[in-house]
Amino acid sequence: MAETADLVVVGGGIVGCAVVQHCARLLPAETRIVLLDRGPIAGATSASCMGHLMVTPDDAQEYTFSATSLRLWRELAERQGGFDYNPTGALYLADGDGDVELFEVLRRQFADHGDRADVLDQKQLRELEPGLAHDLPGALFYPGDGVVLPMLACGAMLREAKRHNRNVVVRPFSAVHGVRTAGGRVAGVDTAAGPIDAPIVVNCSGVWAPEIARLAGLPGLPIHPRAGNLAITGHHVTPIRTQLLEIAYIRFAHGAAKVDPTRTDDAGGHAVNMQPQTNGGCLVGSTRQFRGMDRTLNRELLHRSLARARRYAPGLGEAPIVRTWVGLRPYSIDQHPLIGPWPSLPGFWIAAGHEGLGISLAPVTGLLLAQQIAGVPTELDATPYRPGRFS
Amino acid sequence: MSNDARVPGTGDRPVVEFTFAGRTVSAFAGDTIAMALWAAGERALRASSAAGAPRGVLCNMGICYECLVVVEGKTVRACTTIVEPGMNVQRGGKP
Amino acid sequence: MSERVLTADVGIVGAGPAGMAAANVCALAGLSVVVLDEGHRAGGQIFRQLPPGASGTAIAEPPSHHHGHELLTTFSHSQVALRSGATVWDAKPGRLWFEQDGASWLLRCERIVLAPGAYDRCIPFPGWTLPGVLTAGALQVMVRGFGVVPGKRALVAGSGPLLLPTVTALLSAGVEVVGAVEASSRWRALRALPGVLGNGARLREAFWYARQLLRAGVKLQWGWTIVRCEGDGRVQRATIARVDGEGRPRPGSERTLEVDVVGAGFGLVPSIELGLHLGCTSRWNAARGGHCLVVDREQRTSVAGVWAAGEACGIGGAEVAAAEGKVAGHAVVASARGGHVPLLALAKAARERRSSDAMLGAFAPLPGLHELARPDTIVCRCEDVTLAVAQQAAALHGPSARAIKVGCRAGMGPCQARICGPSLQALASRDGARAMDVPVVQVPLKAVRASTILEAPAG
Repeated sequence: MAETADLVVVGGGIVGCAVVQHCARLLPAETRIVLLDRGPIAGATSASCMGHLMVTPDDAQEYTFSATSLRLWRELAERQGGFDYNPTGALYLADGDGDVELFEVLRRQFADHGDRADVLDQKQLRELEPGLAHDLPGALFYPGDGVVLPMLACGAMLREAKRHNRNVVVRPFSAVHGVRTAGGRVAGVDTAAGPIDAPIVVNCSGVWAPEIARLAGLPGLPIHPRAGNLAITGHHVTPIRTQLLEIAYIRFAHGAAKVDPTRTDDAGGHAVNMQPQTNGGCLVGSTRQFRGMDRTLNRELLHRSLARARRYAPGLGEAPIVRTWVGLRPYSIDQHPLIGPWPSLPGFWIAAGHEGLGISLAPVTGLLLAQQIAGVPTELDATPYRPGRFS
Repeated sequence: MSNDARVPGTGDRPVVEFTFAGRTVSAFAGDTIAMALWAAGERALRASSAAGAPRGVLCNMGICYECLVVVEGKTVRACTTIVEPGMNVQRGGKP
Repeated sequence: MSERVLTADVGIVGAGPAGMAAANVCALAGLSVVVLDEGHRAGGQIFRQLPPGASGTAIAEPPSHHHGHELLTTFSHSQVALRSGATVWDAKPGRLWFEQDGASWLLRCERIVLAPGAYDRCIPFPGWTLPGVLTAGALQVMVRGFGVVPGKRALVAGSGPLLLPTVTALLSAGVEVVGAVEASSRWRALRALPGVLGNGARLREAFWYARQLLRAGVKLQWGWTIVRCEGDGRVQRATIARVDGEGRPRPGSERTLEVDVVGAGFGLVPSIELGLHLGCTSRWNAARGGHCLVVDREQRTSVAGVWAAGEACGIGGAEVAAAEGKVAGHAVVASARGGHVPLLALAKAARERRSSDAMLGAFAPLPGLHELARPDTIVCRCEDVTLAVAQQAAALHGPSARAIKVGCRAGMGPCQARICGPSLQALASRDGARAMDVPVVQVPLKAVRASTILEAPAG
């Protein structure tokens, strides 16, 4: 006899874990929730990204969405902890005077939402971050951002889920190779260990989300892997204490530049992002390039990131680099995540496509999806994230 | 430098002085920092990353990174770095 | 900034017996050879030389080291360019990037011979992080590489043929060896006999060690293991116990010794990271120490232009390494100049491998030793991860070394799981009986300065 569940979540990355966490809290305690992953829990994108918690002030909707998620992160840290939550704030840097006017642009964006960021002059910047190059023209400091260690955060979310609901089952190394439908709606999934009957399947498979959707007979979702090259130093060598971003980042990172993800000649872009780790290491990213599922290191792009990092924090040049790697971001074609039901297949839900903001936005994503499944009013307007916009 | 820290016949080399955590240490030319410090009775070279517990030489061949020390601001393996006269060596790891 | 680029017909990684033997053959045939070695003098870990100027006549050497001296003499008189203190951190066929004295170098070489050797397998036990507790190999390096006296009272513990040279190194440094414990039982050790008896050199070696121990009144205790170390900031006491056939301590057999230094070695792990990075096929071979590079009889790896010899192809000792290095050298010459690998060299390498394989079966790691750690024992030294935390990670994230790694960051630190890898694997397989993972290898193969990466010559 087939195993049964009320809810199967496919994909044990940060988004899947957040969905399980909020479903466990909002659905009745007897709801049987099964989380499946083809590999380790938090073993794919969530293990190879930067744990950046970032408020994006581009417009009111984005601002509320991201700020709500950061509030949920803070609350999880207060309740659970154990995932290196560090509200460092973020320093937006410019190399020379060229990008200085962007400080004011971004400051005003935060101010428009009643939030606050401060433009620092050279002296103030040096006081805040003595390890930065002395010729920098100043910076914009936004205190609301932070850093987490995503793999450990996945564990914290699942621990909380299990506290709310003893019927939460977490099953790593359980690849889904079929999504079963009956009478025009979802009936369950097939795994190597056998089928699981379930009326609801949530696709949280990130860059693999199109693959899972195809198993359900749906056309490929408009999600494309966008590679990033990263490097991390040894411990207790970081020259910085705050999360650092090149302000040029806002020109092309999240929704800023229109690119064609299917092109094969993407030279890639980069704006450096540096994160202090609680063990005194420094994580350096980040580049963006479309080249399918290829995870081989692009040395040229990595070098560009490292060179920028060293330009901003010269002490980084002497820091030992212990590891470099490539992570794949799930880029959605309109640069907004897909969160909600797939209209043509009742029971099939999606939470994927966050590109580089999956860690930041996982809590609010889990909350919105769980509220929709539970049939309660959503915290925020979920309309902009409806997967149906692509159906 | 105490003679009982050296196998007879192995110390017929020029003496090199350097400092470790503020203390002046005598070594022989060609010693690694790790071996010079061992001969000088120093066992704890690093404070472990999270707990800050004392750690010393483990593999002595550049594999384990347990003997990390800071030389002139750079983090290096004590077991693969040769001492130089006047070198300023600090304990590595958690401050 | 001038480009730091070297060019050679052959690039050899490692100046131990395998690397020296390969280099000697290649140099004799007139090929230009650059050897990159992380040590400060040629010889590798097994034939460590004292720093220049030191004679070290008091340090006893087993008869096999005679062969090492021959290799070294030929090597030092050859045209081989040795780059000491060189850390190879990136590679592709025909290219080796390395850091030397903080500078970033590239070696262009159409042919690469991998002879990176091996390192000690560590098994965590309570107190193993105390300063003064080292690997067995570390103590040999201390005495024979630097003439430093490790302490006054030593315990040598673990398993495998390398415990004996550790004991004799300590004895010749004047250290009192208060215990020498081998986890394998005497009966299990008998399995090594065919490997020793069929090989005159190994037999002579065994007698030499027996005589050294007898003369010093040290008795090797078969079927015992170290169970914990204690001390205030450094090791002061070590407790040993009898083990059952699986390596689990027998209750009530514990004995505590006053010590000031402990050498613990549980065999060796082949250093295959560079080979994996180059794309070479590896195969699991528990008796030979774990994942080993796969080579054909002429030491060719699965990647064109890359040969491997010695411990990277599976633990076998210096004789195997030298014989395979010689074969690799001849194979490289044949690829450059035509000709064949001499049959005698092939036969010698095959014979040495057979006899070392026969011997190593007696010292295959006992599963019970991996249970010495207590919940609060550190298993990943770089990241300060305890056994309890690693077990929680395995329970939630999945039963594999990689799952444990992402679940608690064990193995993510500077050693890149070279130290904790075997114990994480044991932890994972105990919980789920999964096959051991091939290690994930990422650039840099060993930690190097960010500037070394940035200043790497293009190639």
